[in-house]
Amino acid sequence: MSRQKNTAGARLFAVRQDVSPRARAVLTALAFALPLLMWSAVSYTPFIWHPYVLVEDPGDTTVAGKYDYVREGQRVELAEFEGRNRELAAAGKQLATGERANPIYLPAPHEVARAFVTAFGTEPQRRGDQWLHESLWHSCQIIFWGFIYSAMLGVPIGVLCGSLSFFSRLVEPFVDFVRYMPAPVFGALAVAILGLKDEPKITIIFIGTFFQMVLVVSNTTRQLDGALIEAAQTLGAKNRQLLARVVVPGILPNLYRDMRILIGWAWTYLVVAELIGEKSGISAFIYQQQRYRNFENVYAAIAMIGLIGLFTDQILAFIGRFLFPWENERPRFFYRIQRLFGGAREGGSDTQAQAQARVAVKAEASR
Amino acid sequence: MTGATHFELPDYHEQSPPVRERFAQLDARPVVMRVDHLGKTFLGAQGEVQALGDIEFDVRRGEFISVIGPSGCGKSTLIRILAGLDYPTEGAVMLDGEPVIGPGADRGMVFQGYTLFPWLTVEKNVMFGLKMKGVKRREAREQARHWLEVVGLSGFAGHYPKQLSGGMKQRVAIARALANQPRILLMDEPFGALDAQTRAHMQAHLLKIWRDLDVTILFITHDLDEAVYLSDRIVAMGTGPGHVQEMIEVPVERPRSPEQFLSGPFLATKKRLEELIHPRTEEMRALEA
Repeated sequence: MSRQKNTAGARLFAVRQDVSPRARAVLTALAFALPLLMWSAVSYTPFIWHPYVLVEDPGDTTVAGKYDYVREGQRVELAEFEGRNRELAAAGKQLATGERANPIYLPAPHEVARAFVTAFGTEPQRRGDQWLHESLWHSCQIIFWGFIYSAMLGVPIGVLCGSLSFFSRLVEPFVDFVRYMPAPVFGALAVAILGLKDEPKITIIFIGTFFQMVLVVSNTTRQLDGALIEAAQTLGAKNRQLLARVVVPGILPNLYRDMRILIGWAWTYLVVAELIGEKSGISAFIYQQQRYRNFENVYAAIAMIGLIGLFTDQILAFIGRFLFPWENERPRFFYRIQRLFGGAREGGSDTQAQAQARVAVKAEASR
Repeated sequence: MTGATHFELPDYHEQSPPVRERFAQLDARPVVMRVDHLGKTFLGAQGEVQALGDIEFDVRRGEFISVIGPSGCGKSTLIRILAGLDYPTEGAVMLDGEPVIGPGADRGMVFQGYTLFPWLTVEKNVMFGLKMKGVKRREAREQARHWLEVVGLSGFAGHYPKQLSGGMKQRVAIARALANQPRILLMDEPFGALDAQTRAHMQAHLLKIWRDLDVTILFITHDLDEAVYLSDRIVAMGTGPGHVQEMIEVPVERPRSPEQFLSGPFLATKKRLEELIHPRTEEMRALEA
């Protein structure tokens, strides 16, 4: 019987097996490169799509006809452009010239890339409007406060619901009821009650995340191994000690992971929140640029939201690796830094007892 | 059964003078835990199911007592009730004459699964019970160091449970339970998940701890050798509902050693347990014929 060869190809498509580190890096790069490549293909190859023609020279505009409205700088459909040239050819006049173009709502990658820089330098069209960096900062603040308020209330309530049946029965049915209501429906109410400034916006973010948070946190709390609680009880821990010394530390790593997911949730409510009352933040910027048909700025702003989200998540993930030393091995680069300073393998000097202990572990492990 | 070699085994009731003396001493000691006509009925989907019926035995101070029985005889339910994690529907558990209500630090428990707190280092795990009692940090740390020394894990105080092998985790669990200096140490198949060699090592280790510290241990197992090797007395349970079939006084002399596994009294006890716990069914007899 020939066993399946453990080739690179077989490993790439093995169920539930991680690919090699190099393949992982390549795939991560491809995750971004592939959509970008498709976008570039549509933008830069004239025979792919390009349903319009950007008129450079309309030819002889004195020739009358069905398509005589074609003028310089217009973006006309291919059929119209060809129709105009047929009219001009029939009249024996100079033909119109132009380049195949995509619709205005699909700018090319380089235009968006340029907008990434120029958008920050573009002066607000109206006095009193915010610059792009101010808009972004304002959006981040809305998210931050909405999420912080939600976590300050949602986490304790979730933990209580997950640990005590009393709170679970008292709170969760109503939370379940409210969470099906889309947060934006509270927009009008929030404005009526809290005014036009930031308060209703923060409230929308709060409503959007809080109810989900209670349920997610209570679920996470319930998943804590009950044997740990029982063990603590046989060691003399009582109710409040159980919560503070067992439940909370026990769920902490998962809680942190939940928060990372939920902060993403908060971002999804941002646009609705910012468009109620006085439009503000990045959404106001997008709304405005869309009205001026600066679509490259719109794309740049949307991409910025994605980047900010990705960046915060990566930072939180990175911090998380240090917060819970019992869960993860310390990050590899941490060892590298340690090796730079003195070359000790495990945190400075080894006591003799530890060295002996390590030998004992190996002996027991090899048995 | 032709061809099989038959040993002439002694009666397991026969006790050598040192063994007889030990049981006489034990009987003179105070009762730590009294299991008093204990019964447990669960309310299942198909109505009431009786898991335990009329269990009765005493545990004396410094005794090593094992509870053994086929799977489903309710031995885990029993030890959970003794620990206070579950409650009886009939009878009571008395600890030093007081009825047990709920879990408490006076009964230490070592579980079959690994129940060390993963977020605490080995030392802090052992300190947990002391901290609950309000012992000062420095004092608790000193005591924890002592108990880690007792279980031979002094060098691992700063390790996290994840970094330990299964056998070492259980040793920390034992240290953690002992740190509270409980009246009785309850152990629910603590070595069940370990490989044979680690298990043998742990049994020897447990016997040494028990001898050195003079603690009272109630030990649940389904391993006949383990029960005979470790125990003074063995509670042999039966099923339907869980009940005590026989209380066996182990006639093997102390100190115990693995050489005794093939001694007459050991084998006789094991044979008796075999009859009680794994009785030949009609089907097995038919297969053997």
